[in-house]
Amino acid sequence: MDLFTPDFGLVFWMFIAFAVLFFVLWKFAWPVILKSVDSRADLIDKGVEYARDAQEQLKNAQAKADNLLAEGRKQQADMLREADRMKTQIIEEARSAAQVEAQKVMDAAKTQIAQQQKEAEHQFRNQVSEFALQIAGKVVKNQLADDKKQSQLVNSLLDDMEQK
Amino acid sequence: MKKLLYILFLALAAVMPCRVHASGHDGDSGKISPKDIIFEHLGDGYGWEVPFNHHKRIPLPVIVFDKESGLHVFSSAHVTDGGTYRDGNAEFRIAPKDSPYHGIVVQIIDGKEYKPWDISITKNVCAILIAVILVCGLMFWLARFHKNHPYKAPRKGLGLIEILVTFIYDGVIKATLGKDARRFAPYLLAVFFFILFMNLLGLIVVFPGGANLTGNIAVTLVLAVLTFLVTNIWGTRGYWKEIFWPDVPLWLKFPLPIMPMIEIFGMFTKPAALTVRLFANMMGGHMIVIVLTLLIFIFASMNMVAGSATTVVSVAFSIFMLLIDVLVSFIQAYVFTMLSTIFIGLAQHHEEHEKEHKEAVDRTQGGAKAAPAPAKA
Repeated sequence: MDLFTPDFGLVFWMFIAFAVLFFVLWKFAWPVILKSVDSRADLIDKGVEYARDAQEQLKNAQAKADNLLAEGRKQQADMLREADRMKTQIIEEARSAAQVEAQKVMDAAKTQIAQQQKEAEHQFRNQVSEFALQIAGKVVKNQLADDKKQSQLVNSLLDDMEQK
Repeated sequence: MKKLLYILFLALAAVMPCRVHASGHDGDSGKISPKDIIFEHLGDGYGWEVPFNHHKRIPLPVIVFDKESGLHVFSSAHVTDGGTYRDGNAEFRIAPKDSPYHGIVVQIIDGKEYKPWDISITKNVCAILIAVILVCGLMFWLARFHKNHPYKAPRKGLGLIEILVTFIYDGVIKATLGKDARRFAPYLLAVFFFILFMNLLGLIVVFPGGANLTGNIAVTLVLAVLTFLVTNIWGTRGYWKEIFWPDVPLWLKFPLPIMPMIEIFGMFTKPAALTVRLFANMMGGHMIVIVLTLLIFIFASMNMVAGSATTVVSVAFSIFMLLIDVLVSFIQAYVFTMLSTIFIGLAQHHEEHEKEHKEAVDRTQGGAKAAPAPAKA
């Protein structure tokens, strides 16, 4: 078997073997492997791009969040200030309302007191006149018995009255 | 390390005499004939040698076809020991050393040797089949992994195979062929892995390795011819135009077709270069290792001391050469694939490319008026 001249049998089998290898791999192995390798490479490329985008977006989101937070804080402060203001206002209003109410109550009490005083005076007057009548009645009775005594009585009654 | 070398030296020195004894049995006259041994090891054979025994061989089927007596299939065990096999009327034997058909199965008709069509499953053929099965198995394994685990990268051994696939596919095929990559990738990847595994199998000393496959011109020739066919069958119009009517001054192609002749010559030198490069590289590696090993026996036949010293040196160098050969196996498979890819890529001469190329050339020539026409590579 010479080394430098190609041997027919070997060429024949080599060709057959390679043809078989080629067709088998071409049909069953390479499509799967190459497709998988290619799609995996694509996936990785896409993944890298996606990650980069995500990072960018994250940065944006962070800035946005910071903005929102600052805005929120400002709003919160505003609201607190407003609430504070409203609180004082309400207290103030309540106080003035209470004052007015108190005044009203006092006024009412005053008028009532005055009325009652008037009424009392009226009653007193009635009673006085009643007393006077009774006294007058007694005086009339006494006149019939003794003139002197009569006048004496009248005088004492009048003295009483005066003293009152 | 020093200790290890010392032990190695002693072991080899001790084992050496009996090896000489064994090899002495093999030769007819007890003398070593380096040339015969080298070519026996580099060449093909009808049986597969087993280690430590020069007479026993793994028998392989011999398939010969003769116009008169038809097809004959028989075990090589019948003929490897110089025997004659008789199948019906036909007689076969391996031609002896002094015959012009030295070493191959011949038919004997009336005492004269006659060479039949021989498609025996020889050692090399068997090794090719083993390589085919190995490559197919590995690729199916990888394909199944990809089928079962889409978008996942394999690890460990399978990862190594995939690294090789992507190394060739992305690094060579895609980089050179661009959008045509997918069309030619099956052929080129098959070539790469086939050569790689044939190379590596050749480096394994015992069965199922040891066949000097890619160092056999028949094997490399077939691969180169296939590349030649793929290149030319799928060559575009632009490619053929470049061959028969290249872009050179008219006098270089019209009355006397100098450039076309050079181009046509180039078409055939490319596969020839592919054939010889792979063949010579791999055969060289094998030959150096065999020669280094033979040196032991040559020096041992002089005297003991020289033999022992040579043993250590030879084995050290053999190991070194075999390690280099592992690298060479990969590099040669890579180079063969890369050159095939480039040849195929050159034949994918697209019209639009040509236009772009022309414009580019025009521009450069417009810049430098006196620039000569670009020499064709």
